[in-house]
Amino acid sequence: MSAKIDPITRSVVQHRLSSIVKEMGEAMLRTSYSQILNSSRDFSLAICDTSGRLIAQADHIPVHVGALPWATLAVEERFKDVAPGDVILLNDPYQGGSHLPDLTAFVPVFDGGKRLLWTIVRAHQSDIGGATHGAYNPAATEIYQEGIRIPPIKLYEAGKPREDLLDLLALNIRNPREFRGDLAAMLGAAHLGERRVAKLFSEFGAETVEAAIEAILDATEQQTRAVVSSWKDGVFYGEALLDDDGHGRTDIKIAAKVTKKGSDIEVDLTGSDPQSTSFVNSSHANMQAAVAMAFAYLIDADIPKNTGALRPLRVVAKQGTIVWADPGRPVTLCTSHPSNEIVEAIIKAMSASCPDRVMGGWGRRFRIAIQGEDPRNGRNFIWHMFQARPGGGASPGGDGYSSIGEWHSVGGLKFGSIEVAEVRFPLHFRQHEFRPDSGAMANIAAASAWRSTWCWRRKSPPRATLPATARATAPVACSAARTASRITTGCCQRAANRVC
Amino acid sequence: MYTIGVDVGGTYTDLVATDKTGRTVFAKSPSTPADQSIGVMAGLEELARRLGVTRAAMLAATDRLVHGTTVATNALLERKGARVALLTTEGHRDVVEMREGLKPDRYDLRTPPPEPLVPRERRFGVRERLKADGSTAVALDSAALGDVIAEVKRTGANSVAVCFLHAYLNPAHELAAVERLAKELPDVNVSRSSDVLPQIKEYERVSTTIVNAYVEPTVRRYLTNLERSLHEAGFKGSLFVVLSHGGMAPVEEASRLAAGTVLSGPAGGISGSRRCAEMLGIPDLVPFDMGGTSTDISLIADGQASLSADGMLAGQRIALRSLDIASIAAGGGSIASVDGSRTLRVGPESAGSVPGPACYGNGGTAAAVTDANVVLGYLDAAAFMGGARPLDRAASEAAVDRIAEALELSRIEAAAGIYKMINLKMADGIRLMTLRRGVDPRKFALLSFGGAAGMHAAEVARELEIKRIIVPTVASVLSAWGMLTSDLRYEVSRTHYGTGRISADEVRALFAGLDQQAAGRLRDWFKGDIAIERSAEMRYGEQVFEIDVPLGDLDLGAADLVAQIEERFHRRHEELYTYASRGQEVVFVNARVAAVGKVAPGSNDAGKASSAAPCAPRGKRQAWLGAWREVAVYALDDLKPGHALAGPAIIEAETTTVLVDHGDRVTVNPLGWLDITLR
Repeated sequence: MSAKIDPITRSVVQHRLSSIVKEMGEAMLRTSYSQILNSSRDFSLAICDTSGRLIAQADHIPVHVGALPWATLAVEERFKDVAPGDVILLNDPYQGGSHLPDLTAFVPVFDGGKRLLWTIVRAHQSDIGGATHGAYNPAATEIYQEGIRIPPIKLYEAGKPREDLLDLLALNIRNPREFRGDLAAMLGAAHLGERRVAKLFSEFGAETVEAAIEAILDATEQQTRAVVSSWKDGVFYGEALLDDDGHGRTDIKIAAKVTKKGSDIEVDLTGSDPQSTSFVNSSHANMQAAVAMAFAYLIDADIPKNTGALRPLRVVAKQGTIVWADPGRPVTLCTSHPSNEIVEAIIKAMSASCPDRVMGGWGRRFRIAIQGEDPRNGRNFIWHMFQARPGGGASPGGDGYSSIGEWHSVGGLKFGSIEVAEVRFPLHFRQHEFRPDSGAMANIAAASAWRSTWCWRRKSPPRATLPATARATAPVACSAARTASRITTGCCQRAANRVC
Repeated sequence: MYTIGVDVGGTYTDLVATDKTGRTVFAKSPSTPADQSIGVMAGLEELARRLGVTRAAMLAATDRLVHGTTVATNALLERKGARVALLTTEGHRDVVEMREGLKPDRYDLRTPPPEPLVPRERRFGVRERLKADGSTAVALDSAALGDVIAEVKRTGANSVAVCFLHAYLNPAHELAAVERLAKELPDVNVSRSSDVLPQIKEYERVSTTIVNAYVEPTVRRYLTNLERSLHEAGFKGSLFVVLSHGGMAPVEEASRLAAGTVLSGPAGGISGSRRCAEMLGIPDLVPFDMGGTSTDISLIADGQASLSADGMLAGQRIALRSLDIASIAAGGGSIASVDGSRTLRVGPESAGSVPGPACYGNGGTAAAVTDANVVLGYLDAAAFMGGARPLDRAASEAAVDRIAEALELSRIEAAAGIYKMINLKMADGIRLMTLRRGVDPRKFALLSFGGAAGMHAAEVARELEIKRIIVPTVASVLSAWGMLTSDLRYEVSRTHYGTGRISADEVRALFAGLDQQAAGRLRDWFKGDIAIERSAEMRYGEQVFEIDVPLGDLDLGAADLVAQIEERFHRRHEELYTYASRGQEVVFVNARVAAVGKVAPGSNDAGKASSAAPCAPRGKRQAWLGAWREVAVYALDDLKPGHALAGPAIIEAETTTVLVDHGDRVTVNPLGWLDITLR
């Protein structure tokens, strides 16, 4: 079928789809309300087809993108009667989601009466209800304590919004005003994508676009297999440790056994430790995304990261382990941890197979969410601190980036402008600079970590959650590369994974 | 009275003069990279000769000279700018290197970060701090400032960027620091963030200010020298510099805001291309400007080029609005080489104008693309530059032979290989501007200009299945020509402070002040008609990005002025993002005014008389088109509107050569331009 698609049409369709996703991302950035989206860009966009294949994505958050095919499958399974003008929403980690704050909207794209693609927006909400503000609840022992669960629901039916459902959601979330603004932005971005894809159909004809998509995925697969074939065959092992789960368990092991043969790769995580009582468990979709992410970092940067690129990859894991929790377990930290440890274990294993491609470990997460009232206008606010950033691992190519963030986003999350933060929140940043002695290892400029001091202006202290890790275990150092610095957080070391 | 456009490229300096009657004369002169003004003055000499007057007489009768320069671009690309130090708010000295934690190319984890223009040891924190509302949290510490300035002096910096937090709201601390620097380090150049980019978001502001500090001394020195030389040579008119956004500014302004000139050179090409699109009635063009050292590719869609403030150049963030242009370091001077694995490479090294390709006979021995073109018979060695600078064919052959030996190929195979490689590179550049953005190049016409484009355009277009090529008569100097067609533009903006909904009186007061400021400033340099364009940047309550909403003909006296402005915002938001939230609070952030000095399209290049005589070739020569073939050679001067010819053919003008192959058809349009349909 792909034989009749000329290479220029294929190329136009491929890049047009990816530029549509980019444009959706720009719209999302420019129209959303909450800081976590419009300053820190904690959102991703994609186009999938009706069988859950990832067709196009752009430079957003890798750990989101790899999970979207699973979300699409959950939508397809739930709804057989999708009509033009429908909008579907979900967040439940046990029905296609990754963790509760990542809300995902789906808009179907039709050609005539035939439904062909989905434009998808996943955005991390500033709050999702539950016991603590800002979505991360280190004390949670079951998912109900983490926020409102949304299975795949139709938020719009044939172009008509379900206002009652919207009210239900907004009622369960702490900052309904921002939530509604963000949701409008998500739907706007998804509809923008729908419009652009429809135009692509009318320009080339849907059949040509469909054939081009097959050709794109096949070509991507070939390109990927050619790369993988050049790596050393064998069975390789790697491990990474999760510091602690905040409930007394420390050094939780994530184990990867990677079997590489020819152009195929199998990643087996069954040797990982049992699940936790706390939010450091991973959901299934998130585990799949983390493995895909590690693989994506090893192949060539310019290979499109679509389903074709993942065809050589097989994932084996066991339910009940830290990487794939039983239904009902809390999972909110999973997009950061154990995602980072899953990547680290795989990259470590692969340092024996493709040493020129691996990189040193990236630093780990330290984040704070503060809730309070802004004395300047009496409004409640939730602020997520993204400023505390570790550096990226060095590679055979050279030094890592300083202050770049964690492995799950690889420079896709911004901490945003301090000026904007001070205008919007009652905060004052006294210092936000590199800590020059924080680069690990001698003579290699592994990237620097941060030093940040700030204060809030309020009479009574605000509430803060500290979902963080990486004080005890320095990230992995691979043979061909050097490690990034670990975070030492000074005053807050022992406060990680607590509600203060 | 003349107006003159001057475009300095890496290899040639192009000049165009038009007089009141619309007569257009152009000249080309070798560039002088060490001091570009030498080449400019020599080019003006040549231009005057072609006008049949002395340079002094020509310059005395010139009211406007518009200049596109690559001085800032080169300083940044070659890392040859100033030694910059940064003065910033204490506790925040790493903003520029942190880049808000964002990294381009998400899946490329093996490329190290770019080196900052100002290393940490030259970034100094000064004790001072403003609050988010512009009020003082910590007063500027005079003693600490003195200490820091002493340290700046020790670093040997010759340019200082000053950027304090929240200075976009209140520049008092920056102004005080600048004053002190001027006193204590009088020879050091200073760039101030509240002057360069008075906008919230410290990373964009500090990075842009640093780039400005980095290129300003070089740009200022160059422009001041040039202005002096021009005046000494009798010029009494105004010298304008083309800016990255396509507008232009006088020398002082362009020097002070030098970061806005990094795309000065290619911006003229876009103006020219836009004018071509208009004259041709072809709204969708791919401007393909292939020179000696570099090639600039852009996109004119629906008659417009796109502007954005997302610019990066050489890894540095420049948050000023600029035209969207892809510059490739390859052109007629690109050098061919054979690497260790016996693979032929072409570029990125360039022979430039000195020594130039081997055939220039200036001591260059490496085979450049131009040498391959000589060997292939595309370029007539004897007629180069109208015979003024004949080429050394034997030198080209010797240079290409060295490549042929290394590859164990024949001379002609090696030359054809070089030709093919450079064409693929050019096609890649076009892919970047079209396919990579999802734009189908097959629906566009290639606008071929720049000295080297004509010999490659047909093969490059074929590579991308582009079917139509336009070659204007001013092709070899189109950028300089385009500068004469650009309007003068001076933009100002002011931020509205205040809580709650803006009032109609506040809107009127804001625009009244801005109208006067913009028009008044432009009036200092421009005597013609001035138009005022107003817009407002607005957003919904908690958004952090504004939309620029053009206010067009909106009557500022209207009673429901604010409601009308808000309605335009809702509509624009809907157009851009598919929805409007009419119940939500709308925030009026910035008022913007552009004063536009309308420039009469000096050269209409109104076309030539058609000719009843059939077009006849002036001769024939052997050219390699897969095999040696005898190809008809036409003179562009002989081709008149209505003429048509079939490939293979070579069409020569003094400074450009166009090659078409078997099956291609050339017609001459009413403007006298070549309109080529590929087989």
